[in-house]
Amino acid sequence: MSKGLKADLEKCTGCQMCMLVCSASHVGKFNPSESRINVEDVFPEPGEFKFNYCIHCDEHPCVEACPVEAIKLNEKLGIYYVDKELCTACGACVDVCPYNGCWIDPTGSYSIKCDLCGGDPQCVDVCPKGVLKRGD
Amino acid sequence: MAADGYTGKVLRVDLSTEKISTEALNKEWAKQFVGGKGLGARYLFEELKPGTDPMSPDNILSIWTGPLVGTLVPLTSRYVIVTKSPLTGTFLDSYAGGFFGPEMKYAGYDGVIIKGKAKKPVYLWLNDGKVEIRDAKNIWGKDTYRTEEIIRKETGEKMARVASIGQAGEHLSLISSVTNDLTRNAGRGGTGAAFGAKNLKAVAARGTLGVEVPDMASLLTMAKEMIKTDVVGNPDHAGMITDGTPILVDMSNDAGILPTRNWHAGTFEGHGGINSESIKARVLVRKKACFDCAIACGSWSKVKAGAFSGAATEGPEYETLGLCGSNCGISNIDAVIKFVEDCDRVGLDSISAGNSVALAMDLYEKGALSKKDVNGLDLRFGNEEAYAKMPGIIASREGIGDLLADGALRAGTRIGGGAEKLVMHVKGLEYPAYDPRGTIGMALAYATSDRGACHLRAWPVAADAYGSGDPWSTEGKAATCVEDQTRTSIKWSFIFCDFYGVNFPNMAKYYSAVTGQPSSEDVLRKAGRRIWNLTRSFNVREGFARKDDTLPERMETEPLPSGKTAGKSVPKASFETMLSEYYGLWGWDAQGRPTKATLQEAGLGDIVAKLSHLK
Repeated sequence: MSKGLKADLEKCTGCQMCMLVCSASHVGKFNPSESRINVEDVFPEPGEFKFNYCIHCDEHPCVEACPVEAIKLNEKLGIYYVDKELCTACGACVDVCPYNGCWIDPTGSYSIKCDLCGGDPQCVDVCPKGVLKRGD
Repeated sequence: MAADGYTGKVLRVDLSTEKISTEALNKEWAKQFVGGKGLGARYLFEELKPGTDPMSPDNILSIWTGPLVGTLVPLTSRYVIVTKSPLTGTFLDSYAGGFFGPEMKYAGYDGVIIKGKAKKPVYLWLNDGKVEIRDAKNIWGKDTYRTEEIIRKETGEKMARVASIGQAGEHLSLISSVTNDLTRNAGRGGTGAAFGAKNLKAVAARGTLGVEVPDMASLLTMAKEMIKTDVVGNPDHAGMITDGTPILVDMSNDAGILPTRNWHAGTFEGHGGINSESIKARVLVRKKACFDCAIACGSWSKVKAGAFSGAATEGPEYETLGLCGSNCGISNIDAVIKFVEDCDRVGLDSISAGNSVALAMDLYEKGALSKKDVNGLDLRFGNEEAYAKMPGIIASREGIGDLLADGALRAGTRIGGGAEKLVMHVKGLEYPAYDPRGTIGMALAYATSDRGACHLRAWPVAADAYGSGDPWSTEGKAATCVEDQTRTSIKWSFIFCDFYGVNFPNMAKYYSAVTGQPSSEDVLRKAGRRIWNLTRSFNVREGFARKDDTLPERMETEPLPSGKTAGKSVPKASFETMLSEYYGLWGWDAQGRPTKATLQEAGLGDIVAKLSHLK
């Protein structure tokens, strides 16, 4: 089973508070473009919200694709995270991920993806509509 | 960028010379006037020559965010357009939520000040401190939905946020709006005409620079707690969370203040066809929020079948349901959705458009306008088919559209024969959807608002029409009007959404956490008074005074016919008593002009020399 976040898209209102708190807790700025979770509003058609984030899949092709072994295991949580010091922003993980779960940050310096905030995902905490839940 | 909530930068663009420059935000003014309304007013007062024609290249068009915009402080997604109003000639501040405001800030600017007029249609592209004046040839003539789509393609930024005008603004309609994120409008006072007069089709932004605060960990702890307790858990917000503004339709109908058939009644027999229940039962697709909002009052709604099948909008909101629904005699939510989708697409203020169409319907039924005068339409109240064509007709200025495009007052005046007396307005700005004949405090609120008849400066409706107050007693109404105007002046400077009932101590707490500056209820009250005195001074400098703080005669001469307000009117003597008391409370003279002592006490000593009545 996936250890990543679960999202009930029907409940989402597109407020992007998850993106605000994610960027704030990862880079110390309010900057949705540096969020590890992305919510896109697609209106008027089809009139819904599109989510992108790392679901922490069991196959983790990103780990195998990384040429510098920058995607490391958090043993406590059993998930993989990006070590930004090692990452060269080559984009191999971005290319190989079937879930659009990771991308290069806006400064072009490293790949970003959900790390479950070390076990206390801030987006789950802040979401006012109960859209986001922790995985199994 | 300092870690104090501000980007610290103001962008200046002269469209005549194509000169673009960036300067430091005036930090002293930021302390005194905070952001949004306050800062915008301070820059405008300083830089706009009195008596400037608002449609001339010399008018100044500015767009402002505030220190809290773009942070996790809840319900602060807003931006404001500040200019001299093309519709009223007064100070104008017009706000919108959605996503554009934070994006402009993330792109690097607290404010953008635009002067001059482009030689041909252009749009402004703001992207992480880089600015371009771009050719608008591919979007001129297009509606706001299509404009947003094309700009995203042209810039290659699929998350670009766009504030644009539709065909109404291009045709310089004085009731045209600026629309962002499809359905959000800086609607009132002719913002669209201010863009159009500069050949400015849109301002688009994409930003990845972010906003910094002095102590992120503490701010996050505080904001998350406040979102739970003061926003989601606040019982005052319950109706906005479950229903949004449409909940007010039934409440206004019960109170007898729901504008009906060009304000000839305050109750509407068809209210059940346009109320919140009708939205939920017939058209609601999903709830939709602005950026950073835990309430999510918006309802994405789509017509499922019938003549207006496929029409969709976010809302409709209460003001639209009142002015474009009951006030036009329309009792079918589907028709209102079609009308307001078209208003958003062509860029029309639905409050002014609803009033203007209702006026035309009234004159048509009275025989003052013939079928030929109204483009061959059978424009009686409640005729959905004719009604639904009106936004397009107004935006293109075809036939009757040319008259209505400049608002109800100008239309009435040009038609003549007393038609102007049927218009409900103050200073040329049409009434929002609360009839003062059922809430006398609203008469004072409309008359004294700094941009003409407006419900967002003081709003005694909740206490008096919906609550347990006495809607017809003048006692204490001046004091609550002053209190509301003080509070909203600072609230619109941060810029908070109307639907967050945030109190002074909490505003001070948020301000300190984001800027690192000490604050208090007392400091913010003083700032609120300073800002309201400043916008009043702007209007006084333009020649406005007591003679303009007036209501249409109908308020006194035409008592309402039905419901709780049957037989009720606003007696002129009562109104004048409230007005005099109000001026006294503000420390203004009998003509409603701030005195030297009042300005000095408000920290506005430096503008005294610029006001001729004080010489």
